[in-house]
Amino acid sequence: MKKKNALALTLVAAGSGVAAMALSMASILPGWAYAAVLVLAFPLFVLGLGLYWMAREGEEDIPFLGY
Amino acid sequence: MIAELLFAVFFGLLLLGIHRKVIARIQRRPGPPVWQEILHMLKFSFKTTWIPKTASAALFVGVVLVAIGIWSAALFVVISGGSLLVIFAIYMLHKIVEHGFGLSSGSPYGKFGGVRSVISAASEIPLLVSVAAIAIFTHSLLISDIVSYQEVHGPLLITIPLAAIAMYVVLISKMPFGPFSIVESKELVSGYKTEHFGVWRAGLEVCNGLKTYVLLLTFILVFIGSLPFWLTLLTMLILVITLSFVCALSPMLSPYDSVTVQTLLAGLMLVYVGVLGVMS
Repeated sequence: MKKKNALALTLVAAGSGVAAMALSMASILPGWAYAAVLVLAFPLFVLGLGLYWMAREGEEDIPFLGY
Repeated sequence: MIAELLFAVFFGLLLLGIHRKVIARIQRRPGPPVWQEILHMLKFSFKTTWIPKTASAALFVGVVLVAIGIWSAALFVVISGGSLLVIFAIYMLHKIVEHGFGLSSGSPYGKFGGVRSVISAASEIPLLVSVAAIAIFTHSLLISDIVSYQEVHGPLLITIPLAAIAMYVVLISKMPFGPFSIVESKELVSGYKTEHFGVWRAGLEVCNGLKTYVLLLTFILVFIGSLPFWLTLLTMLILVITLSFVCALSPMLSPYDSVTVQTLLAGLMLVYVGVLGVMS
């Protein structure tokens, strides 16, 4: 994944979580919906952040398949 | 909720680090620092990452997302006092996720880890039995109702100690380096997660932190009741230290023995719940 795509993924995921928190605090979004947004956004944020930090584009590896 | 989620990840990883430290000290080794698992997560997130050619790319990445997602959901269910059955369902789903981890990479080590994860599903039976024992007394499986019941009648740990032991066995089966850790045993390199490196492994570490925190919090809420926050954390720490002693002082069982022991325990628990059901 390209770095700029990873950054976009991270920002969208983080933005969704923060927006859900703000809407929940304003009593616009119910608690269960806020939790649901976090359940979807948090994994994307974790992977997006890691990919943005260090992802490289290159040849894939072939794992050891046995003798 | 964001704060709780981040706290759960880091505190869960800290507990896993303490687990490693205690095991090392019992074995007269210095051991890693207690924050080693947090460093692991950060280290993996900075490593070069790609998807092996032999992997099913969608499954390879998807299981990491699902693993973090389901334990995030489990955390919200526990802190909102939701149903214990949902936690049980997520625990079972985690088995499927482990299986997906193993099969997605195309590596034989991963596959064996995934297969072992499925055969170690025997560890779920004691969990189901402890859920049944709780239902007999509280007439509800909502964690909030179970906590309220204990405020009136005292901790379930005293009322149904064998059910608590069954849940404790489930905790042992989920701790690294334990007697039932057959999915990650060293003859399989790292078992189902062998080929998940870099960011994917960092995601798995996040999942492990969440899982540890959620399972310990569930045990405390269901068998001890609602405690002040600091006391909850202290109880988690004590629980982890006891688990570390069990893990350090017991050998890792072979897959056959592991399943046999867990099935025997489940059988004993079924008899116990049968007796409880007749007596109540």
